[in-house]
Amino acid sequence: MADFIKQNAHRFFANNKKGENAELLADLNSEYRDRRKDAVKRVIANMTVGKDVSSLFPQVVKNMQTEDLEMKKLVYLYLMNYAKSNPDLVILAVNTFVKDTDHVNPLIRALAIRTMGCIRVDKILDHLCEPLRKCLQDDNPYVRKTAAICVAKLWDLDQERALENGFVTTLQDLVSDSNPMVVSNAVTALAEMQESSATKDVFVVNVAFMNKMLAALNECTEWGQIAILTSLAEYKPLDSKEAENICERVIPRLQHANGSVVLSAIRVIMMFMRHIKSDDFVKGLVKKMSPPLVSLLASAPEVQYVSLRNINLILQKRPDILQNDVRVFFCKYNDPPYVKREKLEIMIKLCNEKNIEQILSELKEYASEVDVDFVRKAVHAIGRCAIMIDEASERCVNVLLDLINTKVNYVVQEAIIVIKDIFRKYPKRYEAIIPTLCQNLDSLDEPEAKGSLIWIIGEYAERIENADELIENFLETFLEENSQVQLQLLTATVKLFLKKPSQSQEIVHRVLQTATQEIDNPDTRDRAYVYWRLLSTDPQAAKAVVLSEKPPISVETSTISPGLMDELINNISTLASVYHKPPKAFMGNRAFSADAVKKAAAADARDEEQNMGDAALESPTATGGAAAAKNPIADLLDLDFGSSEPALTSPPVSSSSQKPSGPNYSADLFDFSSDVPSSSGNGAMGVMGSMSGFGITMAPTTSSTAAPAPAGNNDPFGDLGGFGQPAQQQQQQQKPATSQSSATNDLLGLF
Amino acid sequence: MGFFICSTQLCSTQLRFDARTTQSDNPGHLAPIDKTADVTDRTERSIFSRILGRLWGDKEVRILILGLDGAGKTTILYRLQVGEVVTTIPTIGFNVETVQYKNIKFQVWDLGGQTSIRPYWRCYYANTDAVIYVVDSVDRDRVSTAKEELMAMLEEDELKDASLLVFANKQDMAGAMTAAEVSDALGLSTLMNRQWSIYKTSAVKGEGLTEGLDWLINIMQK
Repeated sequence: MADFIKQNAHRFFANNKKGENAELLADLNSEYRDRRKDAVKRVIANMTVGKDVSSLFPQVVKNMQTEDLEMKKLVYLYLMNYAKSNPDLVILAVNTFVKDTDHVNPLIRALAIRTMGCIRVDKILDHLCEPLRKCLQDDNPYVRKTAAICVAKLWDLDQERALENGFVTTLQDLVSDSNPMVVSNAVTALAEMQESSATKDVFVVNVAFMNKMLAALNECTEWGQIAILTSLAEYKPLDSKEAENICERVIPRLQHANGSVVLSAIRVIMMFMRHIKSDDFVKGLVKKMSPPLVSLLASAPEVQYVSLRNINLILQKRPDILQNDVRVFFCKYNDPPYVKREKLEIMIKLCNEKNIEQILSELKEYASEVDVDFVRKAVHAIGRCAIMIDEASERCVNVLLDLINTKVNYVVQEAIIVIKDIFRKYPKRYEAIIPTLCQNLDSLDEPEAKGSLIWIIGEYAERIENADELIENFLETFLEENSQVQLQLLTATVKLFLKKPSQSQEIVHRVLQTATQEIDNPDTRDRAYVYWRLLSTDPQAAKAVVLSEKPPISVETSTISPGLMDELINNISTLASVYHKPPKAFMGNRAFSADAVKKAAAADARDEEQNMGDAALESPTATGGAAAAKNPIADLLDLDFGSSEPALTSPPVSSSSQKPSGPNYSADLFDFSSDVPSSSGNGAMGVMGSMSGFGITMAPTTSSTAAPAPAGNNDPFGDLGGFGQPAQQQQQQQKPATSQSSATNDLLGLF
Repeated sequence: MGFFICSTQLCSTQLRFDARTTQSDNPGHLAPIDKTADVTDRTERSIFSRILGRLWGDKEVRILILGLDGAGKTTILYRLQVGEVVTTIPTIGFNVETVQYKNIKFQVWDLGGQTSIRPYWRCYYANTDAVIYVVDSVDRDRVSTAKEELMAMLEEDELKDASLLVFANKQDMAGAMTAAEVSDALGLSTLMNRQWSIYKTSAVKGEGLTEGLDWLINIMQK
């Protein structure tokens, strides 16, 4: 009985092994050809839907040696997918590969060498080199071009081996191949290898390579053209003449239907333009680049977006391009939002005296669309046009007034925001429209729009008869307002007081009192203290500070520094030119991650802290206080309307009695207002440091109940009280005092 | 359960059988095919293949050629298939060819004999009708290894019905062991429940191969 069971064990156990893989296993071993083929097809089908069929590896490989091309391709497909999970068994396929690379049919030779290259298993590398050598010398160009790519694959796995076997040299020779496809694939492979090469000598584009590549350029596929153009960009031309020649030969590529080829060609031309001395030639090139860029806008929205981002970049480098083509950048009603936004940007960049009329009517049209975000951008764009083109500003203002009269809430608010900028740019030119703006006072609910209007009222208080009433109006809700609006109200009230002291003494007193007593926000409170001291000490000095001339503003047409610009031009048609960031900013481990920036900032802050030890600044102030202080000081500059304000470029300090540390102070202020997080910690302490250097005693009357928070983290000035002379302070119940009047001059930065 | 040791005169027999590729579109091995012979052959073949077709259908007779590395397996395979000696390289993996002999289609698998590949022989055992075990008769040092591999293989369940044909190869070389010596060294006489036979062969000269195949056909048709 036991014997019986033992002999028949396979029946009891083997047959229980049901399941599809067991069935496939049997079929793959079948004596019948068609059944085997059917089984292989089912295996591939399972593979594609994600079922694990790796256990069938040896059985599938058994079917590899066949004259049936279809079957062979299927098995190759399987091999590529599962070789990694069965690295030991892969050698079973080697002999077949080797035989196939000797096959009379070049398609099979190429297929074999390609698949062999795709099997990323060390064991197969030993057997790859001989067939690869054969295929690189093959008579058939199709085989050679496939083998060329295979070298790059081998390189990726084992650089030593690729070098030892002389494949790199062979590949370099293939750049001189008679067949353009082979050339382009060799270039692709070499370029890829160059990137990962330690010595960077695999593919240094020299004159010989350059000439071969140019010869092959016109005849290879679009992929090949892109590869060649990309490598061509690496070439350093010897002189202007050579650069001109290369550009001449690249120009025909601008006619290509593929957007990537066109952009790659433009990249080469843009890069070589730097070396060309003849201005006429450059002009000619710029002219020739326009039509292809325009035709890129006829493609799919995604391609359009990429093209637009690149055009944006090119325009910043060569503002003379596309001058007569602004119409193609007009938005179509069905453009996706991202395309519209980019088109708008470019329209503004192309805006000049000649086309402003056209652009304005277009922008006005956009302002009546339904997409709120886009409408706002359009309104904003009108404001930018006004600031850019002096002659057109009046027309722009008229358009904005028309828009305000539509009474569409968000249009009105955005319009008021941009009108504030126009007032900054052209002071006193458009006062006449103030009444119209004030009519919309009640409809404003966004802090920025409110703040803008309040700024306008404060700035033109002397022309607005009922300015005090208007401000009074706003003050009713003073405590509920956003801090941005509160700061504006504070400043506007002080301006009003300085301009019309008789009318508004009561208001200003009340505002300052409320701000110092009832508001918890240290920014607002501290600014109120500063004003209060200024006003109580020397109203003339206060006038000089608060009503000082503001630096002019201009619209930034280029936000990119020249160095970055050059790098981005070198990367046209890549992601870098879409992001407008250098590749290292978003590429893998070389990236400057947010963490790295934070770490650097923390290190700086630590250094600074040590330096400041004497100034009795404890670490809590350095962290909490610095963060809190960032806003107020930037805001004190009265330029608190977002980062688009470029006015920070010229220092507003006009004092003649600067202390030695004065420049340091203002420098720190600028440091501050820039949005670089790493500098903020520094800057804040820099400011406080300088202040203590001045010996200003900024301590509020800590004895009174006015200071709601204990001097500490959120009151950086409070800490400085430690070194002042507190005895001098209490003149009035709540009025803070300054111990040195010269402080006002140094505080000019606060206007 | 018949076994016999072939007589020595057989090894001098000239190779006369008509072995050729069945797939005339296989251009990998440029065997010039005699067109006229093919035509006469075809009428003959069609009658036979109809009869045999009833016997086997489209079913292929599967034969494995095994043995240590360098024993001459690949040479034997191509000698059988194209009738001539091809230069070979060590087989990393396998070769498979269809060999037509006496109107029977054999699917012949030649597996690499290197130590690293031997463990994978087992993947090929399923549905095997016969095993041709090739021994290098000159390599007396490794004949014991050959025996171990052979015995391990014959213990496999999947091969329990397969016939065993041993080729004592390289008889053209001086100092070759005789068939009897090889048989002794491999311990063939101790085999139970197995149809087996041993032939003296020379793959290079093409001697002894047909006789072995004849024996196989004879066994299988029984």
